[in-house]
Amino acid sequence: MDLFHDSPMFNGVRQMLGAFAKQSIRPIATKHDLEESMPWDLMKMAQGFGLTQTAVLDGRKKLTGQDEDPDPKKPKSQSRISVVGSEELAYGCAGICLALGGSGLAASPVSRMGTTEQKEEFRKLLAGLDEKGHIKVAAMALSEPSTGSDISGLSTSARKDGDHWIIRGSKQWITNGQSAAVFVVWAQTEPAAGRAGVRGFIVARGTPGLIPGKKETKLGIRASETAQVHFEDVRVHTDMMLGAGSQGGLSDTKKMLDSTRPVVAAQAVGIARAAYDYLLDRVRGGTTRGTPLASHQHIMFELAEMNMEITASRLLAHRAAWLADHHQENVAEASMAKAHAARTAQHVTTRAMVLLGEEALQPGHPVEKWYRDAKIYDIFEGTGQIQRRIIAKHLTGTNPV
Amino acid sequence: MRFSLDDEQGLVVQTIKRFSDRDLRGWAADADRAGAPPDKLTAMGGELGFFIDAVPAEHDGMLEGAYAHATRALRGFELGRGCAGLAALLETNVEPALAVGRWGSPAAKQALFGSLASGGLATFIFDSRAALDVVPEGDGVRVTGSLGPAPALGAASHVVLATRDLLLLVDASALTREAITPSGWRAAKWGTARVDARVAADFVIARDADAVRMVLAWSHVSLAARAAGVATASMEYAAQYATERVQFGQAIGTFESLIRLRDDAQTGAHAARLVALHAAWALDAGLPDAFDFASRARVLANDVVARATIDAVQIFGGYGFVNDYPVEKLMRDARPFEALHGDERFNRVLASKE
Ligand SMILES: Cc1cc2nc3c(=O)[nH]c(=O)nc-3n(C[C@H](O)[C@H](O)[C@H](O)COP(=O)(O)OP(=O)(O)OC[C@H]3O[C@@H](n4cnc5c(N)ncnc54)[C@H](O)[C@@H]3O)c2cc1C
Repeated sequence: MDLFHDSPMFNGVRQMLGAFAKQSIRPIATKHDLEESMPWDLMKMAQGFGLTQTAVLDGRKKLTGQDEDPDPKKPKSQSRISVVGSEELAYGCAGICLALGGSGLAASPVSRMGTTEQKEEFRKLLAGLDEKGHIKVAAMALSEPSTGSDISGLSTSARKDGDHWIIRGSKQWITNGQSAAVFVVWAQTEPAAGRAGVRGFIVARGTPGLIPGKKETKLGIRASETAQVHFEDVRVHTDMMLGAGSQGGLSDTKKMLDSTRPVVAAQAVGIARAAYDYLLDRVRGGTTRGTPLASHQHIMFELAEMNMEITASRLLAHRAAWLADHHQENVAEASMAKAHAARTAQHVTTRAMVLLGEEALQPGHPVEKWYRDAKIYDIFEGTGQIQRRIIAKHLTGTNPV
Repeated sequence: MRFSLDDEQGLVVQTIKRFSDRDLRGWAADADRAGAPPDKLTAMGGELGFFIDAVPAEHDGMLEGAYAHATRALRGFELGRGCAGLAALLETNVEPALAVGRWGSPAAKQALFGSLASGGLATFIFDSRAALDVVPEGDGVRVTGSLGPAPALGAASHVVLATRDLLLLVDASALTREAITPSGWRAAKWGTARVDARVAADFVIARDADAVRMVLAWSHVSLAARAAGVATASMEYAAQYATERVQFGQAIGTFESLIRLRDDAQTGAHAARLVALHAAWALDAGLPDAFDFASRARVLANDVVARATIDAVQIFGGYGFVNDYPVEKLMRDARPFEALHGDERFNRVLASKE
C-alpha cells in the first residue's frame, strides 16, 4: 500500500499547506479563539490557491496542478489529498481548518448525489462575496436538538405541496449555521419509510422561513461558527431535492461520512502533532533543576508514546483514505481512524498540559487551546462510541447496546 | 477504624454542601463568563467562616487550637462540587495564614493577619522548578524571577512563596503584577507577577525543607479534595443527563459503554476523595507519612478529575461542547488542578532520586 511518502503530489500538498499553516494560520489562531470569530480574510486569501468552499465539487486541480483521471474505475486521489492537507491545516489551528473546509460538509452530498443543475445552483449560491465582503460559505444541517447520533430519528419534515417541498424543523450545532449562503438540510419526506424517507435539500439563505438561530459559545474550535438553524415552513422547489428513487437517502449520507471520517481523523492528528511538537521544542535545550529535560525518562517516554500514537493514528487515516480512493469499502477502517485519532489528540494534549505545568495556564497558550479543540473529534461526525459501534457491528453483524 | 464524621464535621459538610449546591452552582456559570466572582462571595463566604478560618483568634481570626485538615478536606470536596474557581478563592488564605501562624515572626503575623482580618486575600505559590533566583541580602534574601499563573495572585495583598527550603512572606507591593483570566477557574482572580524584592529576615518565615513540604502537603490535600469534588460533580451532571437523553430508542445512560464511563469516573472520584481525606487525617494526626500521602492524593485526584471531566463532556455529546451546559466548564476547570505546583508525578520522580 502506498503510504504517500514517495508521491510528489501528496508531498507537494503537504509542503504547501504546511507552510500556509505555519505562516498564515498559526499567528492568528489565538485571536480567533479568544474572539470566537471566523477568519474571513484568511478564508478569502485561501481561495486564491485552491482552498475553495466548493473544492469538493471542483476537484483539487488548483491545489495539486493535476487533473483527476476522469475514468470512474481508476483510483482517485481526493481522499488522500484531503487527509494530507487537513493534517497540516489543523496543525495550524483546528478551528480555522474547519472554517476553511466546513462548506465541504455540504458540498460533499451535492457532489455525490446532485444533478448537474443542482451542482450549478450550489456553485452559483457560493460565488462572489456577501454584503459584508466575506466569501460565501455553506452549511450541512443534519443534527437536531434531540437527534445527534441516531440520525434515523429526524423530526424535521418535508411535505409536498405541488412542485415544492415545505420544510419544517430545527437543526442544532450547525457549522456555518449563521453565515451560510446555502444550506443542505436533511428532512423526512415520508415518515412511514423511516430512514429511506430522509432526503437532502439545497436551500438558499434568505428563503422565507429559514432563520439562523443562536450562535453557540464553545469549548474549542472557536474560529468555526456553530449555530442553530430553524426552518419554519420553508418552501423549496422539488428540483432542489438531492437524489431520486432509492438514491439519496440516509444510507448515502452514511457513505458520505465514510469518506469524510479519515479527513476528520487527520485533523485530530494535526492537533496532536502540534502539541507534541510544542513539547518537543520546549524539551530541546530546556533544563529543570540543572538537568536537561531531554535526559528525563519521565518526559521523554511520554514523548515517545505520543510519537507512537500519532504515527499509528496517521497510518490508520491514510489507510482509510487509500481505500476510499481505490473504491474499496472502508467503513470500519474509517471509524478506526477517527476513533483512534480522537483519542490520540485528547491524550497528547492533556499530557502536554500536565508536563508543561503552570506555564500552560497562561491565557492564549497554544497547548491549552489544543486541549480544548481536541475534544470535538470524539463528538462530531459520529462520537467515539458510535465509531466503536460501527467497528463492532462490522465484526459480528450485531449492534451491541 | 472509624469512617464516620464527628458532630462538627457533619455540620460543616451539611452547611457547605447546601452553600455549594445552591449558591456556588448558581453563580458558577456567570462567574465563569465574567471571569470574576459575584460580589456576594465575600460576604457569604465570610459568614460561613471562610477567609479567616486559619487566622488565629488572637489576630482577629477564627482559629482556636489546631487547624483541622480533615474538616477542610471534607469542605473542599463540597466546594469542588460547586465551583472550582470560587472554591480557590474561598480556600486561598489558608496556607499563608497557617504558615505565618506557625513559623512567622510577630512582624510577619501583624502584616498578614492585619490584611486578612480586613478582607484581604493571600496566596501560596510553590516554585516547583526552582526557577527563582534567591541570594542572601543583609539579614534577609533577595528573590528575583516570575511568579504564577496563580489563583488570587491578581488581587492578593500577600504571597507566601516557597522556593527551595525557604518560605517567604512577600508583600504584593513588591510585585509587578498582571491580572489574567485563564480558561480554568476563571473567577479565581488569577495573576502573574515579576518579583525583584528584598525580603527582610522577619519575613523569611522558615528556612527549612520540612516546612516547605508541610505547606505543600496542606495545599495538596485541599486541592485533591476539591478535584475529587469536581470529578463527582461532572458525573452528577452526566448521570442525570444520561437518564434524560434518548438515542436509538433508549436512554443513553443504559448503553453499557456509557455505564462504564460513568461508573469508572465515580469509582475514581470516590477513591480520590477517600485518599485525600486519609491524607488530611494523617496531617491532623501528625503522622510522618502525611506529606507523602498528601502528594499521592494529588496524583490520584489529578488523574481522576482529568478523566472524569473529559468523559462528562463525552456523555453530553454536542451539548457537552457548548457553554449552555455545565460540563465544558468542568473540563477547563480540571486543568489548574494538574498544573499548580508543577507536574506532581514529576516532582515525586525527582524527589525519589534525591
Ligand atoms: C462544534 C460542532 C459542530 C458540529 N457541526 C455539525 C454540522 O455542521 N452539521 C450537523 O448536522 N451536525 C453537526 N454537529 C453535531 C454532531 O454531529 C453531533 O453533536 C454528534 O453527532 C453527536 O450527537 P449528539 O450531540 O446528539 O449526542 P448524542 O447522540 O445524544 O450522544 C450523547 C452520548 O451518548 C452516546 N451514545 C449515543 N448513542 C450511543 C450508542 N448506541 N451506544 C453507546 N453510546 C451512545 C454518545 O457517544 C455520546 O457520548 C456538530 C457538533 C458540534 C459540537
